[in-house]
Amino acid sequence: MVKRLEKKKEKVPFVDWFLSSNGATSVAVVILGFLAGVILLLCIGKSPAGLFKAIGQSMFGKAGKNGGWNLRTVGDTLMFSVPYVLCGLSMAFANRVGLFNIGAEGQYTIGMLAAHIVAVCIPAFPGQWLLCILVALLAGSIWGGIVGFLKARYKVSEVVATIMLNYVALYLYPLICLYLLPEATVNKSGRTADLAETSLLAKVLFDGSNFNIGFIFMILAVIVFWFIMEKTRLGFGLRATGFNKDAARCSGINDTGNITLAMAISGAFAGMAGAIILLGSVRYSKILTGQDNYGFMGIAVALVGNSKALGCLLAGYLFGVLKSAYSIMQGMGIPKEVVNIIQGLIVIFISFRSGLGLIRDRRAKVKVRKEADK
Amino acid sequence: MKKTLAIVLMVLCVFSAFAQGAAEGTAKDDQVKVVLLTDATGIDDKSFNAAAWRGILAFYGDEGAGRGTLYENITAQTSDDYVPNLKNAAEADWDLVITTGFTWGDAVTEVAALYPDQKFIIVDVDYLPKTDNLIQYIYEEEQGSYLVGVAAATQAKLDGIANPKFGFVGGVAGATITKFEIGYIEGVKSVFPDAEIVDYYVNNWGDPASAKTAAKSMYDSGVYCIFAAAGGSGLGVINQAKEERLAGKNVWAIGVDSDQYEDGVYAEGKSAVLTSMIKVVENSTLDALTKVKEGTWKGGVVTQNMANEGVGYATTNSELKAEAKAAADAAKADILSGKLVVDKTYAAAKAKGVAPAGLGAIDD
Repeated sequence: MVKRLEKKKEKVPFVDWFLSSNGATSVAVVILGFLAGVILLLCIGKSPAGLFKAIGQSMFGKAGKNGGWNLRTVGDTLMFSVPYVLCGLSMAFANRVGLFNIGAEGQYTIGMLAAHIVAVCIPAFPGQWLLCILVALLAGSIWGGIVGFLKARYKVSEVVATIMLNYVALYLYPLICLYLLPEATVNKSGRTADLAETSLLAKVLFDGSNFNIGFIFMILAVIVFWFIMEKTRLGFGLRATGFNKDAARCSGINDTGNITLAMAISGAFAGMAGAIILLGSVRYSKILTGQDNYGFMGIAVALVGNSKALGCLLAGYLFGVLKSAYSIMQGMGIPKEVVNIIQGLIVIFISFRSGLGLIRDRRAKVKVRKEADK
Repeated sequence: MKKTLAIVLMVLCVFSAFAQGAAEGTAKDDQVKVVLLTDATGIDDKSFNAAAWRGILAFYGDEGAGRGTLYENITAQTSDDYVPNLKNAAEADWDLVITTGFTWGDAVTEVAALYPDQKFIIVDVDYLPKTDNLIQYIYEEEQGSYLVGVAAATQAKLDGIANPKFGFVGGVAGATITKFEIGYIEGVKSVFPDAEIVDYYVNNWGDPASAKTAAKSMYDSGVYCIFAAAGGSGLGVINQAKEERLAGKNVWAIGVDSDQYEDGVYAEGKSAVLTSMIKVVENSTLDALTKVKEGTWKGGVVTQNMANEGVGYATTNSELKAEAKAAADAAKADILSGKLVVDKTYAAAKAKGVAPAGLGAIDD
């Protein structure tokens, strides 16, 4: 009897395996998105070769001016994926606890602002970048934590609260930089005094690219996410709250505390993204005046990555590749809108996942009926 | 595991095949090739970037047929795109890389130093390190802004408005936009020495909604005319002016960079854009392309002003009264003869007592 069961397990039909594997559906969705992009390009009479060449160049560094290898783009692509991954983690963390954190954008902005202030106002000292990142983490977690607290304590919708705080953060940035910093730190058009040299994230590997140690922090964040969520008691409590808040409370889990904490941790991921972008990628004291949209794209990353640590890492890298290819392909006459459309379609196709669930249930039912008929 | 490796190798092969295939497509070595790097608004901002693009089209004279092979526009999605985009452009097959606006300043400085053989130009900046491969074009916008200030104020006088207020909506506060605001204020004050001035900075070049709200509250408070020097955001001011005029109010908007008459049309032959401060950004891109083609390239700073027709004002709107035009033309003659010098900085205008304290303008 046991033997028969085991044998059966090995013989799962491909369709059933596909329907039950979130990873497989995600990959299929991405392929579908690209397929649609290719069809679109053919329709408007452009060669899709440029699209793949640009993507190939951003991923592997193939082809530069002389068709040789150019690893700079590889480094830049990896760096581009950092904010996507971190904002994806931010969204995913809240999502696992049953919260919809639309505020990653604001937490990102406030993290960047905090890092900016520390990098400009404090006299330079070695290792200042670490302080900048920690302060950004803290700022992001406060920005998220406020919403979590309001939600847990006063039942304020986290969706509305985070959207509002996005705007508060966005307008706070120029306000503080232009009017509240010490007089001596206000400098040229659209920027403050220079960021302290010691606050910039050191560039490593990949000659000539922006690749810097911020990437390591991103990897650490992925590990921390996975560890908290899957390996700790806290993570268990958080997930339980996400599955069913009332049941969690009944079994002795502090659900209000969990919600506040979850939003704070969620905000910390996004806040760190802000610091890494400013100190690692932008590297000069630009005053942020518009939304960078990384926070919002994080929602898509978390969706494609199914709110798992590894999923967000891969999905974030995908979005980083698309972003890196965005400018390369424009130089080859491929309309930039194609990238936006591919991104959009991937997000739409992902929602088919719940549709696939229906098919899966139906197949199971049919199977049971067949067995019964036998 | 072996399977995965095989798949990865296959993907690599496909990519390299594509890579080689596409590289051969770029021939035509004799002609100048140029790329315009802009922020997310691209060349459809109907203002600054559009003007730079017109200069490129004027150089090639093919009405867009060469786009993708001879010239192209690459937009940045976010601020961390600037440096990688510049590097991508420098490594591709372009003879000249054009950037517009001071927000690109730091990125251009960094990348121009890394690629000494690549020619770059930047418009609206004159304070970057001087290098052989970079031309910085700077405009004396205060001169053109003075003219639209005079024109609008004279129009108000002719309309018999006793104590008109004047508004200014800026994009991102900084030395460049300060020149617009100060020139405009000095122009207005040359007609109405006691006129009240209000200003608002959107802090964004692409947010017409905020600009529109600000314009509405200005018009509601009795402002006669708003000068919008805010890139794409300025369309919000023009749209609000259209609504106000449709509702029967006698108010105006002033366009910037290009002649924005068309954007303000609300009825047959009627536009809410009284005049526009014209800044001929076309001249800069055209000039740079010509220099590349003729081999007369020389790094440094090039000044564009009224003397070389780099700035001016538009007279397309038929409702702009002849006397207002005459007043503006008289001011133009004074500027050209050197009799009239318009200030560039808020500090200078404040010292003269022309500009009130508490404006949003910032000097560097």
